[in-house]
Amino acid sequence: MVAEPPLPPAISAQLKYLLVHCPLPFRVEQIWSGCKNSRFSDRFTLLVPFCLDYIKWDVIYNAFFPFVAPDIVFSQEDEEFCPLLPGFDGEGEPESEAWLKCSSLWDWNSKDPSRLLKLVNEIRDLYIQHQRKRVGKIDDARLKFEINTILSREGIEVCLISGLDKVVFPISRKYSSSPSAPRIKLVASSQLKDLFSVEDVKLPSWVDGMCMAEYLPSLEDTLNIQIMEAVASIGGRRRFIEALAPKFGRPLEADPIFCRRATFLAVTGVFTFLVHFSLSAQFPKLQPTLTLQSSQHFNSQGAPILSLPLSDYPWSPRWDAPEMAERIFEFLVKECINFKKYCFDAVAQ
Amino acid sequence: MADDSFLVEKISIAGPALASILQRFSSSPGDADGFLFGHFTRLPPPDPHDDDPSSSYSVAPGPGSPTAFSASITGQFSSGAPMSFYDSIGRIDPHCVRRATASTEIGHGSVLLGWFSCRRRTTLRPSMRELAVSNSLFKTLTLGTPSVPKLQDSPPAASIFLLLSSSSTENQSIHTHEYRAFVLRKKSPGGACVLEPTSLHIVNIGPDFRGQYGSFLPESMLPLMPCGAEDDLGWREGLRGLQEAGAAQRLLGLATEGFKMEQLAHLVGPGGAEYVSELEDLYRKMLLKLERLASLVEKSSAKVLEQENKNSKMRCRLAGLE
Repeated sequence: MVAEPPLPPAISAQLKYLLVHCPLPFRVEQIWSGCKNSRFSDRFTLLVPFCLDYIKWDVIYNAFFPFVAPDIVFSQEDEEFCPLLPGFDGEGEPESEAWLKCSSLWDWNSKDPSRLLKLVNEIRDLYIQHQRKRVGKIDDARLKFEINTILSREGIEVCLISGLDKVVFPISRKYSSSPSAPRIKLVASSQLKDLFSVEDVKLPSWVDGMCMAEYLPSLEDTLNIQIMEAVASIGGRRRFIEALAPKFGRPLEADPIFCRRATFLAVTGVFTFLVHFSLSAQFPKLQPTLTLQSSQHFNSQGAPILSLPLSDYPWSPRWDAPEMAERIFEFLVKECINFKKYCFDAVAQ
Repeated sequence: MADDSFLVEKISIAGPALASILQRFSSSPGDADGFLFGHFTRLPPPDPHDDDPSSSYSVAPGPGSPTAFSASITGQFSSGAPMSFYDSIGRIDPHCVRRATASTEIGHGSVLLGWFSCRRRTTLRPSMRELAVSNSLFKTLTLGTPSVPKLQDSPPAASIFLLLSSSSTENQSIHTHEYRAFVLRKKSPGGACVLEPTSLHIVNIGPDFRGQYGSFLPESMLPLMPCGAEDDLGWREGLRGLQEAGAAQRLLGLATEGFKMEQLAHLVGPGGAEYVSELEDLYRKMLLKLERLASLVEKSSAKVLEQENKNSKMRCRLAGLE
């Protein structure tokens, strides 16, 4: 496949503005050209964040008429979502007409790079409303009550997925129609998983006769506290990695955001090897897992030889960071002899 | 609004009409769109089945039952520029529609059936603007004729939408054209309008069209040939006769160069065989007319192309693409 040509300057500026200035993590999946022998591309697939997932919109420009406002093709499941139709979604025609007239499509200005961002945000807001209406159509008194009481909370997005019995919030939950406690499932984004161990989150207990609007605040509070703690623990991990530097030298590689991983180069005599530190979310309660990797020995497939994960060495969470580094260094001075022998044996086989 | 009192059940397109849309699309550098012309035909009510007692009652064309229509696309009109007859939020400009229909309708009884949109390398699903345009076109045409009360079996307004996409391999050796026809339909009363995919039959392709040869009615630009017997009755006498003759001569003039109605009258009737040279004359004059038209088309096409190239260069300069 030949690489697709670039977007024309005006369109490219709009897309860049969208990706840089929007607080939501929009992504571009693919850029391609819809013109004959054109030097420019004019369409792309935009991944729009919604309900902790992405929905795909194909944004279609015309490279020969770059001043013309773009058009959007929604995904197959969103056939009923038609934001430009007057009276769409049961809105009164005057209302939707009024919306259209103040939408950024109405007087499109391709020279203004912020236009695409505005348009996408407007359509996304309509999409959120549309999904709310779809969920609202489910004929279930309990669900209706729950949704109505929690929708006023900030940042709640709901959508209907495959069938009529599942509703996804940023925190998703599954309902049964009986007045018993709903089955609640927390869904976390992958970034959150890096921050703290999601599996350990304990849900507050459900009291009979409770409703979501009562339950959510306490759940949010507990989650908030846990996230604050997790953020605080990043500092602890960062200090530990920094304390390793005086003994091991500067790290070859370190995870700068969550401080969960760091790799150092170590030398004993002529034997050079890497030390990978893997820090769990429970650090310093749990000691870091060390893995050694030889820079000189390779197995028959050509992959460098790795030690087994080492997590059984002297450790106390009460030590300060420099002492932790010191103790690990001492341990490794002894352990590297074993590892060197292990490498020789592995190569000899 | 698109109520359910009518249904477009079948859409067929004449081969030349589809070919001209494809040609228009592949010759345009970017996306293209335009109007579709043709006619609606009422479909006969389905045959009642003896073995199903309920159906024989339900399908009877009662006053409240919907009338099914078949749409035949026979022509297209494309202005060459995208979004020429609607704006960025998909609202139709009624003046453009009127202009386009006026220039294309030449007494063939063809009406505006809907519109088409061609966009390269995209999925064959209507975009948000295309749905709005279809909806607005339908509304514009139904609201445009308020004096005519909506009859139960009057033909539906323009509700057809044809979506085309094409792609080609890198070395241009394989070109793929895809098309899909849609009919604008209201899902439920008060509900949203949707473009419902409908199968598109291409006339003369496949065995389905054998039946058409049997029911073929010729449609000709030539006026009705006055037969000798009718001449004797003197139906051409009087002012009305003169008017009719004048209109017929004008029609004939569209097809040939300087061929008289009287000469045409010789070609039918008992003495027709003696006028072979007359027929050849008619043929020669028709060819002459065609040649003149062809050279006119060639010259004007060259001018249009030149202007289009100029326009596209200017657009590029304006957009800072140079």
